[in-house]
Amino acid sequence: MSPLQQFIEYSIVGIAAGGIYALIALGIILIFKSSRTFNFAMGEMMMLSAYFFYAAAVTFALGPFLGMIVALIGSIIVALVIERVAIRPMLGRPFIAVVMVTFGIGSIIRGIVGMIWGPNDLQIPAILSRSPIMLGEIFVPGKTARAFAIAVVIVVGLIAYLRYSRAGVALRAAAADAVTAYSMGIDVRRIISFTWILAAITGCISGVLMANVNTLTPHLGLVALNVLAVVILGGMNSLGGVLIAGFIIGWLEAITGLFLPTEFREITPYLLALIVLLVRPTGLFGTKEIERI
Amino acid sequence: MAAVLEVKDLEVVYQGVIQALTSLSLTVPEGAIVTLLGANGAGKTTTLKAISGFLPLEDGRVTRGSITIGGQDLLKLAPHQIVRRGIFQVREGRHVFSEMTVEENLIAATFAQRAARSRKEAFDEVYNYFPILSQRRGQAAGYLSGGEQQMLAIGRALVADPEMILLDEPSLGLAPLIVKEIFEIIARINREKGVSMLLVEQNAVIALKYASYGYVIESGRTVLEGTTEKLSADQDIQKFYLGVEAHEAA
Repeated sequence: MSPLQQFIEYSIVGIAAGGIYALIALGIILIFKSSRTFNFAMGEMMMLSAYFFYAAAVTFALGPFLGMIVALIGSIIVALVIERVAIRPMLGRPFIAVVMVTFGIGSIIRGIVGMIWGPNDLQIPAILSRSPIMLGEIFVPGKTARAFAIAVVIVVGLIAYLRYSRAGVALRAAAADAVTAYSMGIDVRRIISFTWILAAITGCISGVLMANVNTLTPHLGLVALNVLAVVILGGMNSLGGVLIAGFIIGWLEAITGLFLPTEFREITPYLLALIVLLVRPTGLFGTKEIERI
Repeated sequence: MAAVLEVKDLEVVYQGVIQALTSLSLTVPEGAIVTLLGANGAGKTTTLKAISGFLPLEDGRVTRGSITIGGQDLLKLAPHQIVRRGIFQVREGRHVFSEMTVEENLIAATFAQRAARSRKEAFDEVYNYFPILSQRRGQAAGYLSGGEQQMLAIGRALVADPEMILLDEPSLGLAPLIVKEIFEIIARINREKGVSMLLVEQNAVIALKYASYGYVIESGRTVLEGTTEKLSADQDIQKFYLGVEAHEAA
């Protein structure tokens, strides 16, 4: 295989992985927009969803389709419980205090999953076809390509929904100015719950996709740390930015793997995030507020 | 149904220790424009926040007194429920959603909509009162002039079709001509739609001109009330409110 071909192949696989990053990042950004809460438990929520899927589809033999529905419902319930019990009472508290709470929740989820399902890899039923997709001479692994397609469709669909729907207007209003949103009759607390539900859905789908592409372990949630770089690169308040940022980070990881020893793969996203923070703190696509007095 | 707003003997405390209102009472009859006058820090905005239920959002609490509309206790309701009950507040400083378009700002207000009318009907009414907003409907609200932003803020209230609008400093930072234009429209809305208004204004001249009844508050309590004719003739009012105004204008 020519070096150019190899480069292109790595690039495509990397960008494909970035699609899932974008899906996870979207969940983080939605919650951040509605309540200025940075949810560090996102990765663990996603991992727990994949275990829900495993339990429903394999342990209770419901099959992949019903398994996915059960996993979605379970994920939404968990997200709503977290929001209601741990996050809502923290509203108005210092940012860092809320962040620590989400960190704690992440550890608790990891612990519980470890207790129930143990530390070993589990195989979940394949919901994605293995048959590779050939783009001319370029070989794209089947699961990766299909996971990418699903993730991008959901990200684009969600962004369009929030851009053009009344619920999207309410979310943006609550994000911009909570008191004024209340004064328009918008129940801001319900909007926050709504974003946790959306995050549960994106987390669940990305978790099951990730577990399909790789395997299911309690460490599945660690991928969310890479997503941190995506969120920083895209800008905390930019929904559209996550998609591009996801692609960039995914691509960068893959390309680093091609040219440098694998250890560097772990570092490059953070290096990029660090540079972005130094040069352009709002991220590539984050906006400063336009205001006229 | 009579939608009389009654505030009785209201006491408000912020952060458990800072007393903002000590004993404030006022009544807004159906269809009237009532103004609340007072110096900075007298408690005008706090009164409006208490009525709209915003206090808990700012660590404030009503510790005594009552707020009712048509006999219904407002203190038990959350802010979004109070709006849906028909009391819409146009906040001080306009607070348009600057990154959203004019039309999206109006869409946000449909969450407060009570009347069974279509979105188009509601928006047409807004554009009828404020034609300039129709021209700007696709623009980000942050790029509107101050006067246009105030119009949008009042337009959002119209979408909700409220029984009462609480107006907090609508003239703030606007040129006199724009202020006059906006107050003419406020008066028209009051006249044509029968919406009652509770108006908080620094600009006492204009407040006394458009309102029919007024209250003067000092340090969180009502100290004087009467028809605006009577208040305009009052020597203290002339000295402290209208006099200050004339001095500032000079």
